[in-house]
Amino acid sequence: MLLQGWKGMKAVLNSLLNKMLESRFSRIYLLIFSIFLALLLGAVIILINGENPFFAYGALLKGAFGAKYKFASTLAKMVPLTLASLATAAAFRAGIFNIGVEGQLYLGAFAAAWVGFTYTSLPWFILIPLCFIAGAVAGGAYAFIPGLLKVRYKVDEVITTIMLNSVAILFTDYLVNYPFAAAKGKMGATDMIAEAAQLDRFVQFSKFNSSIFYMIGIAILMYYLMQKTSVGYNWKMVGENPQFARYGGVNAGKQMLVAMIVSGMIAGVAGGAEVLGVHYRFLQRLSPGYGFDGITVALIVQNNPLGAVFMSFFFAVLKTGGVAMEQATKIPYELISVIQAIIILFIAAERGFHYYLVRRKGGLRANV
Amino acid sequence: MFEDVFNVLLIQTTIRTATPLILAGLGGLLTMQAGILNIGMEGMMLTGAFFAVIGSYYTGSALMGVLSAVAASCVIALIFSLFVITLKSDEFIIGIAINILAAGLTVFLLRSMFGVKGAFSSPQIAPLPTLSFPLIDKIRVLDGIFNNHSIFIYISWILVILVYILLYHTSLGMWIRAAGEFPEAIETAGVSANRMKHISSLLCGVFTGFAGAHLSLGYLTLFTENMSAGRGFIALAAVIFGSANPVKAFGAAMLFGFADALGIRLQGVGIPSQFTLMIPYVITVIALWVVAKRAIKRGKAA
Repeated sequence: MLLQGWKGMKAVLNSLLNKMLESRFSRIYLLIFSIFLALLLGAVIILINGENPFFAYGALLKGAFGAKYKFASTLAKMVPLTLASLATAAAFRAGIFNIGVEGQLYLGAFAAAWVGFTYTSLPWFILIPLCFIAGAVAGGAYAFIPGLLKVRYKVDEVITTIMLNSVAILFTDYLVNYPFAAAKGKMGATDMIAEAAQLDRFVQFSKFNSSIFYMIGIAILMYYLMQKTSVGYNWKMVGENPQFARYGGVNAGKQMLVAMIVSGMIAGVAGGAEVLGVHYRFLQRLSPGYGFDGITVALIVQNNPLGAVFMSFFFAVLKTGGVAMEQATKIPYELISVIQAIIILFIAAERGFHYYLVRRKGGLRANV
Repeated sequence: MFEDVFNVLLIQTTIRTATPLILAGLGGLLTMQAGILNIGMEGMMLTGAFFAVIGSYYTGSALMGVLSAVAASCVIALIFSLFVITLKSDEFIIGIAINILAAGLTVFLLRSMFGVKGAFSSPQIAPLPTLSFPLIDKIRVLDGIFNNHSIFIYISWILVILVYILLYHTSLGMWIRAAGEFPEAIETAGVSANRMKHISSLLCGVFTGFAGAHLSLGYLTLFTENMSAGRGFIALAAVIFGSANPVKAFGAAMLFGFADALGIRLQGVGIPSQFTLMIPYVITVIALWVVAKRAIKRGKAA
């Protein structure tokens, strides 16, 4: 009788699996499944380290949501993550692997800071947009370099963007320590930007500020651009099948380059948001790797801008809560990175799982 | 001032800094010959460096350190090949995921196993031996250049020759190259192209394990967070620059090592460190650009 029960359960699971795979929302189911699996593996790691997973994850949630200022901190973290992931997703969509968001962010941040502490007499409604524009121009211009190398000379953009990240970080490092070092006080930072450029803070004890509105604006913009316009459609075509795109009259190279520049621009804005909203100056270690987190998010949501917003929120929760988890349980914060990587691996294997599962079922689509 | 920078020490530093690039590059070119671009070498090298320290710390033997580095690297390589070859996922995405996994895992283990942040070192960690040859030490210049190097430097030179022989003078090498260029050919001969790709990926694990062990056990015995510092990518650039040929990739690795060494030497003469540190990265980008222009010209001529 137990055997029959087991067989019955298998049948139910099988049909559930089938329904999930065939449904329109199969991607979302897969994402939820992958996250669940990754958190499960994370729980195993926590167990191995001698802690209680429920307690650990509980501490994480408390750290992210437990108090008004904590929730505000989570939202504050979400801003650079969302912008970085939107930047990355735009480029990835068009088939160009922009790993350089981190470097573009740094340059954009410095440009925004420079405008902020140089043009101190301008009123806020001119200065703030000017700072963001400066950031976008710097980021976009810096992304243009590897973009051109890829489109004109077919130089692999993964390596060039990674190399240029280091160059950008080192260069701004130099700027901040030599020509633009703060006149007094802080080492490794520039002067503070004009008060007119500083964005308003909302909640005491947190860095949550009005940059979230700019983030929402850009998210909406990117959603429309990528999902509802012909430019976005072109990018998708170029990203999935450049040959086919060319037959359709689309200039693959130009689209890739445009996507790359847009990507850099958004990265620059992300940098600007950090300067104008969080630090009020340019700092040496400005970004704790937002660019790379952006890549992680973009890979997980497969370049969907709406998904990027939600996943960035999830990551912000993990990051803010992860610090609290480490304080409460001695589980290192880096567990979060491991969980992130596992999620990517499962998502990326989607095609393989599909292929494997379908073949096992004596597949209708055996030649995927 | 010229002598401050351009002297025997520069050549010595070049050789030292080029070695992890050569080792990882050998692994990278084997996978490239099989048709895979392994972006995850950075993560594999980092993992190797970490587990080399672990192995050496707990057993007091540098050899065990090397073996654990190779084992760990190969596990990562297996994950890579499982997802990319068997499950047919995108090699870029999996490579990036591997790098994220390795970075997070090594720091996680660093903190949970040793309770330290940033770096771990201990007198208990056994370093790799340095070699000195009796005949060469009589001649000062040769002594400066070729003597007193950590053992992997010499091993890497031998490995370049061995890999060359493997690729171009053995059947395994031929099958690996065919797996990349013309898989149908060996399939009809009964050799699985996928199996060749798996083998090349595993060999890449071995070599990046060596590279990692050299990084953390070769001179100073320590592991720092993000120890590989982009060398995995520079090694890949060397492979591309050298068209996946062992000898040419060796030359490219030497070039990049030279850029790195030059930067180190220039720091001593007052140029801000930020610029000297930039040199290897900028050179890499320029080198890739030169390769690409060369390839286009060749394409046009053909």
